Amino acid sequence: MSEAVEQPSPDSPGFRRALKKLASRLPLHTVIVIVVLLWMTPAFGLLISSFRPPSEIASTGWWTAFQTPFKFTLDNYRTVLAQNRMGQSFLNSLIISVPSTVIPILVAGFAAFAFAWMKFPGRDFLFIFVVALLVVPIQMTLIPVLRLLADVRLVGTFPGIWLAHTAYGLPFAIFLLRNFFAALPRELLESAYLDGASNLRIFFRLIFPLSVPAIASLTIFQFLWVWNDLLVALVYLQDPSKSPMTVTINNLVSSFGTQWQLLTAAAFISMMLPLALFFALQRYFVEGITAGAIKG
Amino acid sequence: MPRLLTKLLESNRQRAGRPSPRSLVAWLWLLPALAFIAVFLIYPVVDTFRISFMNADSTAYIGIGNYVHVFTSRATQDALLNNVLWLSFFTLLAVGLGVVLAVLTGRVRYESLAKAAIFIPMAISFVAAGVIWKFVYAYSPEGFSQIGLINATGTSMGLPPVAWLVQQQIAYTGQVLPTPLHTNNFALILVGVWMWTGFAMVILSASLKGIPVEIIEAARVDGASEWQVFWRILLPMLSPTIAVVATTLIIQALKNFDIVWVMTAGNFNTDVVATLMYKQMFNFRHFGQAGALAVILLLAMIPVMLINVRRFRA
Amino acid sequence: MAEVRFENVTKRFDDTVAVSNLNLEIPDKEFLVLVGPSGCGKSTVLRLLSGLEELTEGNIYIGGRLVNNVPPRDRDIAMVFQSYALYPHMSIYDNMAFGLGLRKVPKPEIDRRVKGAARILGIEDLLKRKPGQLSGGQRQRVALGRAIVREPAAFLLDEPLSNLDAKLRVQTRAELSKLHERLGTTFIYVTHDQIEAMTMATRIAVLDKGVLQQVGTPRELYERPNNIFVAGFIGSPAMNFFQAIVIQDPDALYLDSGSFRLPVPSLKAAMLIPYLGEEVTFGIRPEDIYSSEYLPTGIATPAVVQAKVDVIELMGNELFVYLVSGRYQFLARVDRRTNARPGQDIELVFNLANMHAFDSRTGKALSA
Repeated sequence: MSEAVEQPSPDSPGFRRALKKLASRLPLHTVIVIVVLLWMTPAFGLLISSFRPPSEIASTGWWTAFQTPFKFTLDNYRTVLAQNRMGQSFLNSLIISVPSTVIPILVAGFAAFAFAWMKFPGRDFLFIFVVALLVVPIQMTLIPVLRLLADVRLVGTFPGIWLAHTAYGLPFAIFLLRNFFAALPRELLESAYLDGASNLRIFFRLIFPLSVPAIASLTIFQFLWVWNDLLVALVYLQDPSKSPMTVTINNLVSSFGTQWQLLTAAAFISMMLPLALFFALQRYFVEGITAGAIKG
Repeated sequence: MPRLLTKLLESNRQRAGRPSPRSLVAWLWLLPALAFIAVFLIYPVVDTFRISFMNADSTAYIGIGNYVHVFTSRATQDALLNNVLWLSFFTLLAVGLGVVLAVLTGRVRYESLAKAAIFIPMAISFVAAGVIWKFVYAYSPEGFSQIGLINATGTSMGLPPVAWLVQQQIAYTGQVLPTPLHTNNFALILVGVWMWTGFAMVILSASLKGIPVEIIEAARVDGASEWQVFWRILLPMLSPTIAVVATTLIIQALKNFDIVWVMTAGNFNTDVVATLMYKQMFNFRHFGQAGALAVILLLAMIPVMLINVRRFRA
Repeated sequence: MAEVRFENVTKRFDDTVAVSNLNLEIPDKEFLVLVGPSGCGKSTVLRLLSGLEELTEGNIYIGGRLVNNVPPRDRDIAMVFQSYALYPHMSIYDNMAFGLGLRKVPKPEIDRRVKGAARILGIEDLLKRKPGQLSGGQRQRVALGRAIVREPAAFLLDEPLSNLDAKLRVQTRAELSKLHERLGTTFIYVTHDQIEAMTMATRIAVLDKGVLQQVGTPRELYERPNNIFVAGFIGSPAMNFFQAIVIQDPDALYLDSGSFRLPVPSLKAAMLIPYLGEEVTFGIRPEDIYSSEYLPTGIATPAVVQAKVDVIELMGNELFVYLVSGRYQFLARVDRRTNARPGQDIELVFNLANMHAFDSRTGKALSA
C-alpha cells in the first residue's frame, strides 16, 4: 500500500532531479541576469563609445559598432590624455584626495577613541550630536566657509580644501570608528593598562592595528567620496589649474556639448581609479557601509 | 612643549589598571575633531542662518524678506516640489529594488558577482554617471539616426524619439501633467536610482543574512509559500534596516545636487533646492536668498535627523 | 495513520555522507529519540523527514504516503527547532496562529486551538507579548504550542532542551513525556544527551557517523547493547572497557586483562569459547562495581579486583571512584561511606552477571 501506483518513481536518477531543479529556478536566474545586464548597459555603452571616432559617435548608436566595418580608435584617449588639462586634473584629484582621506581618519580616530573608551560628562550627548551632524547639507556651510577661507586666503588652495573635506568627513568617520572601537574586547585594553601602557601607545599599537577592517572601509569610502566630489571643489577651489577631474569633465560637458568623443574617454579615465579601487577592496567598502547602517 | 603634551596624553600612567579617568585627557583627544566640526559645520550653520536674514551681499538685515521671496517665487516652489518628487520616488524605487534584489541574489551561487555589478555605479562620480546617461537619453530629431539607447529602441518599435531630459509631458502621448510630475524629472531620478540601488541592496542583503535561517524554515514547515515567507516574515524583520536605508536615501534626495547639475543644470523645470541655491550663490550672487534656501534644506532634514537619533537611542 | 518509515535513505553533502542507508520504522504514537554524538547525522535525519533537506537516495513514508518530493508544508508534520525560531515581530498568539491562518482555518477554530494549547502549556498570560519579552523556558513552550495547534501526524523536535538551564531541563523532560501521553501523537526527538533519550523515549535509535547502530527500548539498549559504541554511549557515567584474553585454567574460563583475572560466569561461557586464546573487549558498568567494604547481598557472581584510587568525587548519594590498575583506568560508583582516598589501594567487587563482551575487531557484542 506504500508503493502507490500513481506516485512518480521514487528513485529518480540524480540527473533528472537536477534538471528539474534548474527548470524551476530558471525564472530566478533570468530575472537576475536581465537586471544585471540592464545595470551594466549604460556604462558599457560609454566604454564602447569612447573607442569610436567622433563621426561615428555623433551619427550612430554605440551598438552598431559591432557591425562591420569595425571603426575603433584610440584617438579619443590619446587626445584627452595629451591635453595638459586631463593629466594635471588627475594629479590634482590625487593631491586633493589623499590628504583629505588620511587627515580625517586620524582626527576621527582620536575622537572615536575618546568616545569609545573614556568617560567624561556629556559624552553620549556629544556623540549623538556629532552623528546628527550627518544630515547637515553641505549647502548650509558653503557661504560661511567660503568667506572664512577667503579671509585667511585659503580659497583656491589645496590646504583649504583639505581642511574642508576633513571636516565634512568627520561625522561619518567618528560614527564608524567609535562603534568599531567600542566593540573591541575591554579585557584587551585593560590588560594593556595594567601593563602600564599609556593612552597614546594603546591607540597606535593596539587599537589601530585591530581596527584595520574599519579603517580600510573608511579609507575607501572617504577617498572615493572626495575623488568623486564636484560641489566642494567647484566652490572652494576656484583655480582652474587646480581642478580635479570631476570639475574638468563637468566643464567639458557644459562647454563641449557636442564633442562627445572626448567626453566619453575623459569620463572613463576618471572612473578608472575608483573602479580599480572598488574591485580591489570591494569587501571593505561594503562592510563599511553595512556597519554604518546596521550597527545603528 | 611636546613633552608637556605627551605627559598630558599619558596621564593615566599613575592610574594603571583603570581606563583613563580624567575628563581633561578625553577632551584633548577630542579637540582636533571638535575644532574642525565647530569651524566647518557648526559655525557655518549658525552663520548661514544669520545670513539668510540679510541682503544680497550681507551688509544689512532685511528680516524675513528672503524667506518671503523664496517661498512665493515660482522657481522655489517648483524646486521644492521636485525635491518631494525625488524623496518619494527615488527612495521608493531604490529601496524597493534593493529589497527585491537582496532577496533574489541571496539565492544564487553567483551572488557576489551580481551584487558587485549592481553596486558599481556607487563607485563612480555623479559627473561620470551624468555623461553615461546623457548617452542613454540622447535625442536626435525625428528622421535622424538615434544614438541614444532608449530612443533607438523606441524608434525601432515605431515610436517617435523623445528628448528625455527636456520633455516634460508624458512620453509618446503628449499628456501634460501638473508640476512636478514631468517626465524629465523622472529621467534624472532614474539615474539616481541606478546609482543608489546597489547601496540599498548591499545593506539589506547583509541584514537579510542576519535573519536566522531556522525562522524561515519554521515558516516553511508552518505552511508558508515562498511569497508568504517574503511578505509575512522577511519584510517585517527587515523593517528596521529598511528604515535606516530609507532615511539615508531621503537625506541624499534632499541634498542632491550633482546629478541634476551635470545633466540639465537645473533647466527645463528640473531644479531642486540645492541647484537653486548654487545659482543664487554664484549666478545671482544673492547670498541672502541662497542662505534662506540652505536653511530650508536643513529644516527639511530635521525630521529625518530626529528619526535617526531616536533609533540610535533605542 | 501516522507511522513513519525510512527505506534505504542516504543523504550526501558533496563528498560527505551524512546519513548512510537508514532503515527505520516508527509506529504511530511512539516517542522515538534519535541520539548520537555531534555530527552523527541525527539532525539531518530529522530535516530529511521534515522536507527541509532533500534525500539523495531512498524513500520516506509518512502515514503510508511517499513524501520524497512533497514540500515541508504538505507533509503534515510540525517541528520544534533548537533555537525555537519564533517570529520576533509577532505576538505569541500570532506566532501560534500563523500556520493555521495560512491554511485558511476559520478564526474561531484557530482561537480554540491556540487557547487550548496555551492552557496545556501554561502560557495563557503570555499570548499578547512578543518573543523578545519572554524567557528561554517560556519561548520553548511557545515553540511547542506552535507545533501543537497544527495537530500534525508527527512532532519533530530538534534538541529542544539544549538551551535551557539544567534545572529547567529536568522539569521540562517530565512535562514532555506527559505531553506525549496526553496528545497521543508520534514524537520524533533528536538529542545528543543520552539521559534525555533514556528518560523520555519509548524507543531509542542510536546513530554514529550516519549509520544506525541500534534501535530498541531504553532497557534493551542498556542491558543488551549491540556493539561497543552503543554500550559506551548509553548509560552515564559510561561503561568501562578492558582488553582481555580468554584463557582456560584448567576447566574454567577466565578473562585475563594483564592486571587482573576474572572468572567467567557459566552463563557467559558459551559465547566466549570461540574466542579462546584471543583478545576480546570486556565491558562493565560503573554501577556494577562495588567496594568490598560495603558489598550489598545477593551479588550472584562476584569477582574481586585490586586497584589504586586516583581521584574521588562525592556525589552526595554515592561516591565516584576513579581507579587505576596496571594500564587500565576505570570508574566505579560505590557506597558513599566507602573509605577511599587518592593513592590508596582498594579492593573492588565486579558483578559479572552484568558483564558485556565484544569482538575486539568488529566491536559487535557477543551474545549467549
